[in-house]
Amino acid sequence: MIRDITIGQYYAANSLIHRLDARLKVVAVMIYIISLFCIGSVATYGVAIAALAAVVVASKVPLRFMLRGIQSIFVIIVLTGIINVFTNKTGTPLWGQDWYLITTGGLSMAGMIILRLIMLIIASSLLTLTTTPIQLTDGIEYLLKPFGKIGVPYHEIAMMMTIALRFIPTLLDETDKIMKAQQARGADFETGNLVHRAKALVPILVPLFISAFRRAEELATAMEARCYRGGEHRTKLNRMAFGAIDYRAMAVCVAFLVVEVVLSVLL
Amino acid sequence: MSEMIRAEHLTYEYVRTVEEEKGSRSETVLALNDVTLTIPKGAFVAVLGHNGSGKSTFAKEINALLKPTKGVLWVDGMDTSDDELLWEIRQSAGMVFQNPDNQIVATVVEEDVAFGPENLGVEPEEIRRRVDQALETVGMTAFRKDTPSKLSGGQKQRIAIAGVLAMEPECIVLDEPTAMLDPMGRKDVIETIHRLNKEKGITIVLITHYMEETVDADWMVIIDDGKVAMEGTPREVFSQVEKVKGFGLDVPQATELAYRLRQMGLAVPKDILTTEEMVGALCQLQSTM
Ligand SMILES: Nc1ncnc2c1ncn2[C@@H]1O[C@H](COP(=O)(O)OP(=O)(O)OP(=O)(O)O)[C@@H](O)[C@H]1O
Ligand SMILES: [Mg+2]
Repeated sequence: MIRDITIGQYYAANSLIHRLDARLKVVAVMIYIISLFCIGSVATYGVAIAALAAVVVASKVPLRFMLRGIQSIFVIIVLTGIINVFTNKTGTPLWGQDWYLITTGGLSMAGMIILRLIMLIIASSLLTLTTTPIQLTDGIEYLLKPFGKIGVPYHEIAMMMTIALRFIPTLLDETDKIMKAQQARGADFETGNLVHRAKALVPILVPLFISAFRRAEELATAMEARCYRGGEHRTKLNRMAFGAIDYRAMAVCVAFLVVEVVLSVLL
Repeated sequence: MSEMIRAEHLTYEYVRTVEEEKGSRSETVLALNDVTLTIPKGAFVAVLGHNGSGKSTFAKEINALLKPTKGVLWVDGMDTSDDELLWEIRQSAGMVFQNPDNQIVATVVEEDVAFGPENLGVEPEEIRRRVDQALETVGMTAFRKDTPSKLSGGQKQRIAIAGVLAMEPECIVLDEPTAMLDPMGRKDVIETIHRLNKEKGITIVLITHYMEETVDADWMVIIDDGKVAMEGTPREVFSQVEKVKGFGLDVPQATELAYRLRQMGLAVPKDILTTEEMVGALCQLQSTM
């Protein structure tokens, strides 16, 4: 069950979106997410949804992979919706009074927030589903490079991401093993109140941390033995190349932005 | 120059702090004690010793991960205590560790193999050539786009070997590379390193607990409490069954059997190493009876 967590899950396929340069995809997703929080009218949302749908189709990734991301934070989505329903009292009252008064304004606000969150998750999981972890970290390293001048350790950040992604499956396996071992000795993780369950986690977390530190130390030694000495003078097996399709995709992104801005100004 | 590794009075002391009621004090552990040893180029050397005898410490010395406390160690003529030569030493003497999971850095097989040459600043085209060749050599080309975490232990260890190969070393030190593998994986790894030794002339230093893995070595070194206790060809070393056992080590099964048969008064030779030799000796014995 622990295996269901999808972090940095790559879905191998040969699509236009898969072939795009990681740097472009990272920037595009960032711009898209920011724009989601700047737009408000039905028309602008319509365009944003249509754009997202087009990319989803072009990516050839089955929709259920993206929905998995939504599943994992379902509670947060519902909670955000409920809070918005009860805190926004604009529009015509529909039901209830005082603090549990529900209004049309509250409902539409909640609907909008939920829609935004879902679009945000789909957009960001599209990025990780269509970009290999290596390309992703290489892309982020490249994009952060200008900030190196103000002391951002861009190479180290990228290396940390790579190692984290590499060790997530290993540590998940290990957690599974430790849990089974503790269960075999009568530990119970499924029943009892919150405090009880939190306490039951301690015998899992302690061995997990000890093992993670041991692994980290061994990995550091192994990296040193392979002449690792930071990002300087380092070369890369695969050079990133910005090709014709990337320029075309960039043009599409700019067109999307222009349409959204024009619609926001006009309506 | 035909010496790959030369140690002279090599000594290493770990310093560790011990917490006590009255505060902490430091304690030293003598892990290597006056080791003098030469390993010629192109040799396949097996290093044995019981737990805590100093084998891993010796391996880390070769890779300049540790510096001698006393004495000198030369790797391909380079003094390991010279900081200037650090990267050259690590490039020419690669290292494979026990746990395959904790030495793989990248999430894709070929990216991991490329890690070493990338660190050395090799040009991308050349990295590509080396990666393809290294994967070919260890027989893992078909897995080059796979995720290491989905491979078996033996396959992961072959990837680790490929990662070292891509740095084009003269020598590879393997610290119990088969300790965590199943018999199949063990066989794969041992065959691979023998092939590297024969076909590419790479010097191999194999640290192991499995006696069977040492019988094909050119030379054997037994380390006991940080000292070189015995040295010689596997045949010479294992024919002294009692002495080897005195260091807390076993001998190969066939050698053990020959030893017991001799004790029972049967005339089998004492330098038997493999089952085939045992069978041969027994057949001869039968025909003379
Ligand atoms: N980091 C360390 N700090 C202090 N002492 C250490 C350290 N590493 C090893 N030692 C000690 O140095 C001695 C030699 O250790 P080493 O790891 O070289 O043995 P080994 O022959 O590789 O053993 P094993 O077969 O268990 O791998 C041991 O007594 C050990 O306790
Ligand atoms: Mg050891």
